[in-house]
Amino acid sequence: MELITIRVSLVAALAIPTVAAAAGPSDYVFLPGVTYGEREIDFKMGSWKHPTDGNLSAASIGFGYGVTQRWFTEIYRKYEHAGGEGTRFDAWEWENKFQLTEPGQYPVDVGFIVEVERPQDHSEGYETVLGPLFQTEFGKVQLNANLLFARRFRASTEQHTELGYQWQAKYRLMPEFEVGAQAFGEVGNVSHWDPSNQQSHRIGPAVFGKVALGGRQAVRYNAAWLVGATDNSPHHTFRAQVEYEF
Amino acid sequence: MRHVLIIALFAALSGLAHAADPEFALTIRDHRFEPSELRVPANKKVKIVIENQDATAEEFDSHALNREKVIPPKAKAPLFIGPLKPGRYPFVGEFNEKTAKGVIIAE
Repeated sequence: MELITIRVSLVAALAIPTVAAAAGPSDYVFLPGVTYGEREIDFKMGSWKHPTDGNLSAASIGFGYGVTQRWFTEIYRKYEHAGGEGTRFDAWEWENKFQLTEPGQYPVDVGFIVEVERPQDHSEGYETVLGPLFQTEFGKVQLNANLLFARRFRASTEQHTELGYQWQAKYRLMPEFEVGAQAFGEVGNVSHWDPSNQQSHRIGPAVFGKVALGGRQAVRYNAAWLVGATDNSPHHTFRAQVEYEF
Repeated sequence: MRHVLIIALFAALSGLAHAADPEFALTIRDHRFEPSELRVPANKKVKIVIENQDATAEEFDSHALNREKVIPPKAKAPLFIGPLKPGRYPFVGEFNEKTAKGVIIAE
């Protein structure tokens, strides 16, 4: 199997205790594939009602580029709007995705994600998210599942590596409209999970699609309505992503 | 006897691991796919080597096959598809959709 070697230092970094990283309402499911030379403007948004934190909306706007056949990179600005407050700039984020296997060559396609976030509030330090990405298909059904390890560095408070997951299932009905489901969850400290009623799990129906505009241009979208599955999960989340590819 | 069985097991697994997928060639020339109809065996994984002979990149795009692949100019790239049920699976060259189009026929 032809693999890209992941720097050992990234894996070793997971052993250093850091500030716990938080999921957000605009989270989206990573896919392991990369399209070489693709440029995109990426808009993501989400809004949820959390049982303890109240209403929160988030959005981001970014620019991404497929640098090689196996490496995609994106930089984006993130914004937040908490209930009763105005919209504020939240953070810069740099995302790098690596396609580790050729799609369809093996039973499961494999990728890897590396994100670094620098919040506006510097007391939060730097947040890093790393993890493997998996995809497989059965006829017209595509399945994705990802594990995410998140932690903060140089934050004002001592924290730990947190474990989260994402999965997605969709039926590829037609290019412009596909249907399925998405789920996101966080279980807490990777080495000592939170009690189940304190974990966060969200799941719900989703739609997807790609509208070709001609030439190299297309608009790709996905959106989901998620419901919380535990007492500590946001009751309802609406999330969406729209990408303009050119 | 145990050693013979272990060696035989590894030999069998090695054979499975190295069993080659059927391989086909697809060429992009003058913003057209050649052949425009590619017949492949159904119910088997297939490897297609796409050679782009043009001076500009092309993107092989097929919703039916769930594949998008950019082939740089004067370059080759592999594409794995299947196992496919018998049928027709259209594809296009997204950068030159008016002329670059074809269909894979699994039979």
